[in-house]
Amino acid sequence: MEEEIIRYDNVSVVFDGTTIIEHFSLAVCKGDKVILRGISGSGKSTLLKMAQGYTRPDNGMVSYRKHEIDADTAWHIRQETAYISQDSDIGEGTAREFIDGVFAYSANRTIPYRDSLNKYLTLFSLDETTLDKDFRSLSGGEKQRIAIIIALLLERTVFFLDEITAALDSQMKTTVADYFLSHEDWTVIAISHDEVWYRQEARIIPVGGI
Amino acid sequence: MATPDIPISGLFFAFLLLAIPVLIMHKTRLPMMRETVWSFLRMSVQLGLAGIFLTVLFDYNNPLLNVLWLCVMITVAAYESVRKQELNIKKLYLPTVAAFVITTVLSLVYFEILIIQDGGIAEARFLIPIGGMLLGNSLGGTIIAVSLFYSDLRRNENRYISGLSFGAQRTEALLPYFRTALKSALKPSLGNVAVMGIVFLPGLMTGQLIAGLSPMTAITYQIALMLTIYTATTVCVTIAIILTSYISFDEFGMLKKDIFLRK
Repeated sequence: MEEEIIRYDNVSVVFDGTTIIEHFSLAVCKGDKVILRGISGSGKSTLLKMAQGYTRPDNGMVSYRKHEIDADTAWHIRQETAYISQDSDIGEGTAREFIDGVFAYSANRTIPYRDSLNKYLTLFSLDETTLDKDFRSLSGGEKQRIAIIIALLLERTVFFLDEITAALDSQMKTTVADYFLSHEDWTVIAISHDEVWYRQEARIIPVGGI
Repeated sequence: MATPDIPISGLFFAFLLLAIPVLIMHKTRLPMMRETVWSFLRMSVQLGLAGIFLTVLFDYNNPLLNVLWLCVMITVAAYESVRKQELNIKKLYLPTVAAFVITTVLSLVYFEILIIQDGGIAEARFLIPIGGMLLGNSLGGTIIAVSLFYSDLRRNENRYISGLSFGAQRTEALLPYFRTALKSALKPSLGNVAVMGIVFLPGLMTGQLIAGLSPMTAITYQIALMLTIYTATTVCVTIAIILTSYISFDEFGMLKKDIFLRK
C-alpha cells in the first residue's frame, strides 16, 4: 500500500462570505508530484498553507500521514516538511546571515549545512558573493533561489511550493522544476503557472473554475 | 531657597505671548487659532488641578496615598498605550498594565534604594515625579514598539510563516519583528541622550537648577534618571510584547485577527 502524506477531505473555504473552495478532495502519497492549477484567487495558496496549519478549512479535514492536522501535528509538520511562499521578502541582514540564522534555530542546530551550501549555489547559478549582499537588495529571483536552497539544506523531502519559479528566467525555471520533479522519493505539491512544471510525471489538479 | 514665585501679572504676560502665534496664523489664514487657544486653556486647567492635587498629596505625604496615585498613573498610561495602537483594548489591556506595573515598580525600587540611597521610597516628592517620568517615557516607547510589532507581523505575515516552515519555534520566528520594534522604541531616546546638555537641558535638570540646587547635583540626577528610563523602556517593551503575545496567537502560532480594531 502506498504511503499517504497529505489528504484533503471535502475541504471548503469561505472568505468574507464567499465560498472560494468547495468540497476539494485530494490524496497525495509519497513520491507524488502534484501541480495545483487555477486562476488567481481560486484558493490554491490557501490549500497549500493548510498543509502546514497556517490556515484551517471552514469545512472538511486535512490530514498529514493519516493524522488530522491540529495544533500539535502542525508544529511537527513544520519541522518535517518545507513550505516555500511566493512572497520572497523573508529575511534581513546579508543572505549569509539569513541562512546562518535559520540554522541557529534550536531544531536545526545539528544539521551540517555549510558543506552542501556551495553545491546548491552552483546548481542554481548563484555566485558566492551573493551571500554577502543585503538580502533585501537581492532580485526576486535571487531571493527565491536562496529560499529554495534553505529548504534543500534542511534535508526535507516533502515540499509545498507556491510559485517558486515565477521570478526566474526560463532556463532556471527548468533547472528548478527538474530538480524537484526528478527525485523519486520526494513528495511535491506545487502551484505554478510556468509550463515547465506541467510534465508527464506530474498530476495536474484543477482548483476552482479554470 | 531663593526661587521667586511667578506673580499673576507674570502669568498674564506669559499668556500674552500667545497673541503672536495667533496673529501670524490670522494673517496667513492658517486655521489653527482655535485649536491653539483651546489646547492651552485645557493645559492650564489640567495643570491647575494637578497643582491642587499634588499640593494635597505632598502635604499628607502618606505612602499609601502616593502608591495609590501611582497606580492611577499606571492605569491611565496603559490605557493610552493600548488605545493609541488601535488594538483591541479588551484583549490587550491587562498584559499592558502588567508590563507597566512590573517595570515601574522595579525601576522605582531600584532608583530609590540603590541610586538615591536615602530610604524614602514612598515619599511623594520622589515617587510622583520620578514615577511620572518613567511612565511617560516608557509609555511612548511601548506604544511605538508594540504597535510596530503587530502591524509589521500582519503586513509581512509570510516572512513569519517562512520562519516557522524553516523549523523555527514561535519565539524564534518572532525575533526579527521584536528587534525592529525595540530598535524603533529606543532610537529616539538614544538621539536625545547624545545631545543632552549641549543642545538642550532636560526638564528635571532645569527644575532643579531653578530650585537653586547645584548644577552638579542636577546632573547626577539627570544621568541616573536617563539610565533608568532607557532600561525601563527596554524592559517595558520586552515584557509588553511577551505578555501580549501570549493572547495574540492561536495554538497554531498564527496571529489572531481579532486583536486589531480594524480588520
